[in-house]
Amino acid sequence: MSMRNVAIVGVGITRFGVREASWKDLVLEAGKSLFDDVPNLDKKDIDSLFVGAAQPERWIYQTHVAPLVAELLGIEVKRVIARTESACASGQLAIRYAWLSIATGLSDVALVVGVEKMNSKFLNISQSSMINVGNREFDGANGFTAPPFFAMVAQRHMHLYGTTEEQMAMVRVKNQEYGSQNPYAQFQKKVTVEQVLNSRMVAPPLKLFDCSAITDGAVALLLTSEERAREFTDTPVWILGGVQHVDAAHTTNQMGELADWVALRKAAKDLYDMLKITPDDIDIAEVHDCFTISEIIEYEELGFCKKGEGGKFIEEGESYIGGKVAVNPGGGLLANGHPLGATGTRQAWEIVMQFRGEVPKGRYVDGAELAIAHNLSGMAQLHHIMAYSVNKPRDIKFGR
Amino acid sequence: MKKPKRKLTLPEKIDLPPLLDLWEQQDPSGPDATGIYDFYRNLAEGELTTTKCKSCGKLMFPPQIICPNCYSDELEWVRIPEEGELYAFTELRLGAPIIVENYTPFVIAIARFGNYPENGVQISGMMFDVKYEDLKIGDKVRWEILEIEGPGEKKRYWYYFEKVE
Ligand SMILES: [Zn+2]
Repeated sequence: MSMRNVAIVGVGITRFGVREASWKDLVLEAGKSLFDDVPNLDKKDIDSLFVGAAQPERWIYQTHVAPLVAELLGIEVKRVIARTESACASGQLAIRYAWLSIATGLSDVALVVGVEKMNSKFLNISQSSMINVGNREFDGANGFTAPPFFAMVAQRHMHLYGTTEEQMAMVRVKNQEYGSQNPYAQFQKKVTVEQVLNSRMVAPPLKLFDCSAITDGAVALLLTSEERAREFTDTPVWILGGVQHVDAAHTTNQMGELADWVALRKAAKDLYDMLKITPDDIDIAEVHDCFTISEIIEYEELGFCKKGEGGKFIEEGESYIGGKVAVNPGGGLLANGHPLGATGTRQAWEIVMQFRGEVPKGRYVDGAELAIAHNLSGMAQLHHIMAYSVNKPRDIKFGR
Repeated sequence: MKKPKRKLTLPEKIDLPPLLDLWEQQDPSGPDATGIYDFYRNLAEGELTTTKCKSCGKLMFPPQIICPNCYSDELEWVRIPEEGELYAFTELRLGAPIIVENYTPFVIAIARFGNYPENGVQISGMMFDVKYEDLKIGDKVRWEILEIEGPGEKKRYWYYFEKVE
C-alpha cells in the first residue's frame, strides 16, 4: 500500500493558564482561532476529527467528548472520529492518529483538537486524579503522583551523575526567558536561578518552579494530504515520521533505574534510524519538560549529549537558541503550563509557528528545517516522538 | 400572577466520591473475585507477599494470576524479605491528593527487597515519623503492616516502610 505525505496546514490556540472559561469555551476558542488561520477552509472539507483529552471524565465530569467537539464546531464527521487518551501525551497521540488516517487514505482532511480543563473549584481534584496515571492499586495508594515520582527521578540523577539543583533551576530560567516572549504562555515573567531555588518545596529536591503547572488550554490543528495541502496554506509543515516506545512497564518494580529513560533512548534510536538522521540534524526540539529534571534527562536520551551530562549541557547554554540545539524555544511545559491533552498539540503549534517565522525575534530559530516534538506520558514509561520539517519527505516512514 | 418557582433540594453534604478512595475494597465475594485476593488476605495476617512463577521462576510485583514471562498460571505465593534498602525517596509537602491530605507531609519511598531485579522486588511505600532530611539512599528499611480504618466499620490492610535503626 502506498502511503501519502501528510502536512499540518493550519493552527489555532487559546491562552493557557488558570482560566475561568469552560472546557467547551476552550474548544470553541481554539477552533475559531484555527478557522481564522485558514480562511480557505470550508468546514465541509473536514471529514475526520481527533480529540486529545486525558481526563475530562474526572475534571469536567464529561465523557464521549469527540462528538461533543463535533457539535460545538459544527462539523459533520464522515470518516473517522475518535478521542485519544495517553495521559500527558494525549495530544500527540491525536496528531499521530490523524496522520495515520490521512496517510493511509482513510481520511483526507482531519481536525485535531487537544484540550484540557484541569482547574476546578474542587481544590485538589487535579492531583487526586493524577494519582490514577500510575498503577493506582500499588503505587497510587502510596501517594505516588507526578511530583513525588519526578522528585525521586531527580534524586537518583543527582546521586548517580552529580546533577545539581542549580542546573535544574537553569532549565526553568531558559524556558521562562522564551516564555516571556510567548503571549499564550501561563507564565510570562523571567526568573533567576535564585528565585527557582527559593521557591516553595513541593517534594524535595523539587521546588515549585521545578514543576509545570495545572493548566487550562486548547489547541487546534488542521492536517491534510499532499494532494490538498496547497488549498489551505503556502507553508505546510510536513510530518516526517513518528515513534512510540514503552517497555513492559507501568509499576515501580518494572522501572529499573529511574534516572535512565531507556524507553526514550530506544524511541529516539528508532526515529533516527528510520529517518536516517542524527541528533545533530535537529534544529528545534520541543521536549516534555513537565519538571526541570525531565528536560535534563531528555537531552541525554535524545542523544544531544552523553548520558549523565544533561546538567552540564544546560549549564553551558547548549540548549539555548544558538547552542547545539534549540530546546523549547516556546517556553516548554514549564512556561506554558501543562494542560495534559493540549500539550502535545501545543508543541506542534510551536513548531509550525517557528517554521512560518511567526514568533517574536527573541525566540525565533532562524533557518530551522527539522524539528522534533517529544511528549511523554505516565511516570515517564511511555515516550512519543514526532518529526516535522519544512521539506517534504521523500518516503513516508511508519517504522522499520 | 407568576407561578412560584419550583424547587429541588439537594443533600446538605455530598460524600467524597468512592473513586477517591485509594485502597482496594479487599472484601471479595463469589468465585470470580480477584485472583490476587491472597495478597490482601496475607496482609491481614501480617505478611507482605507476592507471586512467583513455578514454571520459569520469575518473581513479580505486583502479584499476578498469569506469569508475564512464560504465561504459566502455576504461580506460588512467596513472602517478600522483611529487610530492604532505600533506593529513592522524597517527602510530599505540597499538592497532596485529597485522600492523603490528613497525614501530609509524609515520606514516599522506593525500596529494593531481595536481589533486585533477578530475585527481588522494587516497590513504593509510605514512611511515617521520619523526615526527608533524616534519610539517605542505601538506608536499611523493613516493611510493616498498616491498618486502614474507615470509612465505616470496615478494616483494610496495607504496608509501609520503617527505617531500621
Ligand atoms: Zn513464568
